[in-house]
Amino acid sequence: MSNLALVSEDGQKLETFKRDDLTIAVHGLTVNYGTTPAIYSIDVSIPAGSLTGIIGPNGAGKSTFLKALMSIEQPVSGHITFHNQALRDVRDKIAYVPQRADVDWDFPASVSDVVGMGLYSKMGLWGRMGKSAKQKINGALEKVGLTHFADRQIGQLSGGQQQRVFLARALVQDAEIYLFDEPFAGVDAATENSIIEILKELQDSGKTILVVHHDLHTVTEYFDHALLLNKRLISFGPTQDSFTKDYLAKTYGKPIDPLNREHVI
Amino acid sequence: MLRDALVLSLGYNATLVTLGAAILGCSAGIAGSFLYLRKNALISDAISHATLPGLGLAFMLASSLGFDGRSLIVLLVGAGFSAALGLMAVSWLTHMTRLEKDAAIGAVLSVFFGFGVVVLTIVQNNPSGSQAGLEGFLLGSTAGMLLNESFLILLTSLVAFALLVIFYRPITLVSFDEGYARSIGISVRLVDYLILAVALVVTVIGMKIVGLILIVALLIIPSVSARFWSDKAHRIVILSGIFGALSGYVGSAVSAVSLGLPTGPIIVLCSTAVFVVSFLFAPRRGILSSMIKSLRFEQTLHLAQGLLAIAQEQPIYEAKTLRILKRKGYLRRDSVPTQLGYARAQKTLLNERRWAYWINHHNGTQGPHTHQISTLIDIEQKLTPDQISLIDQGLANAQEGRLA
Repeated sequence: MSNLALVSEDGQKLETFKRDDLTIAVHGLTVNYGTTPAIYSIDVSIPAGSLTGIIGPNGAGKSTFLKALMSIEQPVSGHITFHNQALRDVRDKIAYVPQRADVDWDFPASVSDVVGMGLYSKMGLWGRMGKSAKQKINGALEKVGLTHFADRQIGQLSGGQQQRVFLARALVQDAEIYLFDEPFAGVDAATENSIIEILKELQDSGKTILVVHHDLHTVTEYFDHALLLNKRLISFGPTQDSFTKDYLAKTYGKPIDPLNREHVI
Repeated sequence: MLRDALVLSLGYNATLVTLGAAILGCSAGIAGSFLYLRKNALISDAISHATLPGLGLAFMLASSLGFDGRSLIVLLVGAGFSAALGLMAVSWLTHMTRLEKDAAIGAVLSVFFGFGVVVLTIVQNNPSGSQAGLEGFLLGSTAGMLLNESFLILLTSLVAFALLVIFYRPITLVSFDEGYARSIGISVRLVDYLILAVALVVTVIGMKIVGLILIVALLIIPSVSARFWSDKAHRIVILSGIFGALSGYVGSAVSAVSLGLPTGPIIVLCSTAVFVVSFLFAPRRGILSSMIKSLRFEQTLHLAQGLLAIAQEQPIYEAKTLRILKRKGYLRRDSVPTQLGYARAQKTLLNERRWAYWINHHNGTQGPHTHQISTLIDIEQKLTPDQISLIDQGLANAQEGRLA
């Protein structure tokens, strides 16, 4: 993969960005539930290194879009490539973080057990949880501020802590692309800040990040790209171009003011 | 007599059955614990009831072809085949229709069992079949167990056990977080097939001893009991195997010395005893321990609130608080604080003020967690002496500020 560098006049490297073909390219993606389309004919190219918020009303197919990218939901039609490669060749380079509500938190596992699951794809069935694995787990726990909770049963955590466990599991996967399904749902403000901080750090180190997001008034602050979705793709691009009043009205079927706190959907 | 059975000196056959039942209990406990973790315990009921028609049909088919219909292998293959058919029916019903899993299981198990009873009745009424002894498969029997049958149980248990150990990671991952498992390329369908196949095999080989009606209990009860003792998946699996083995061992020994009592129900009663002990006495998750914990918590709460009220010279109205304070000797019988009570109250108040100061000045990030109540936590245990003296300094300054 050749990277292009933006160089200032005195020869200092300002920014490295990847070539245009390094994208998540989606063509004609359609997913059905029975006979109702969950998402319909989505075409979009998400550039590498972007931090994208996926915005839309309930039932717009935001989670389905992420799941279809990972073949967790089988699309009826559509073609998806990651950096010009098929999913099966890059699976271990993509970290998927499900909604917190998708799993059973009473499951008998500790925080470090769950974070360790992020290493399964590399270790296989029998790879030993050796020293380096433990270091990775501890590093990720420290990063999300859960060091003291390593042995805690996951059901005894608060919502924000559970979300950070998921984040830590994604971090140990050491991926290139991160897909988050509503990482801010039901977490307190402090956790939300620490999560977005980590997402921005990931972006700074060149990762591509997609986040299903509900809270309209933080979109411009958090994301450099926005993808507006309501079954069909409404708009995608840099946030200032795609997260506009017109597109929002189209997405939600009524005028929406993103700065109005009442409109936190 | 029971002692003889337990130390395996009750003769060849009883020993064989006892060991066989112990191994069976162990593998049923382990197989069942994976069903339990996967939240699919009820499916074992469909498996076991769906074996019955296969049992009868296999006997009829083999007899009509001139083989010995009573051959265990023939019967077990027939049972396994119809149980697999039952599983397919459940899976087909849930995928193709809007039926929920529990409804599909209920429908399949009753239809298969009903059909099985009809087939069995026909077999019994047929003169050649009257000695088939198929009814022993309903409630289990220890009679006439052969050495090669115990070997069959041992061998299948080992294979089943090995499969579950090899695929432990994908199984637990799918059980906890299906979406994530799919995202790293694990086939949820294959994992489910594996768990069900192992449960099916254990059910079929266990029918002879425990009986198909009660084998469910041996699959489910040990894992449910084990859940009380641990918060770790692998420990639950191991404990479940131990509980199952214990139930099988003791149950078949008891059944061997008490003539006429069927083995299956006795084994199930033994595993129920394990469950009751776990449910009552398990540390942390058992009901006794959680009752004690909540009582203690309530008491600390009343104590702290009562002491704060004394320190701030507020009246105490709640009878329970008064009772606890009196019992501790902090109040006299006429509700006047004692010397000790005053001292304690001052300490509690100081603790409260220190915490309030600390939380205010650290934005709450280093204090107790929001779901904890700072009043109940001794700050001197949580913070260093340096931090405490900083707080006291701050409190003193604030006091001066107010006075000035």
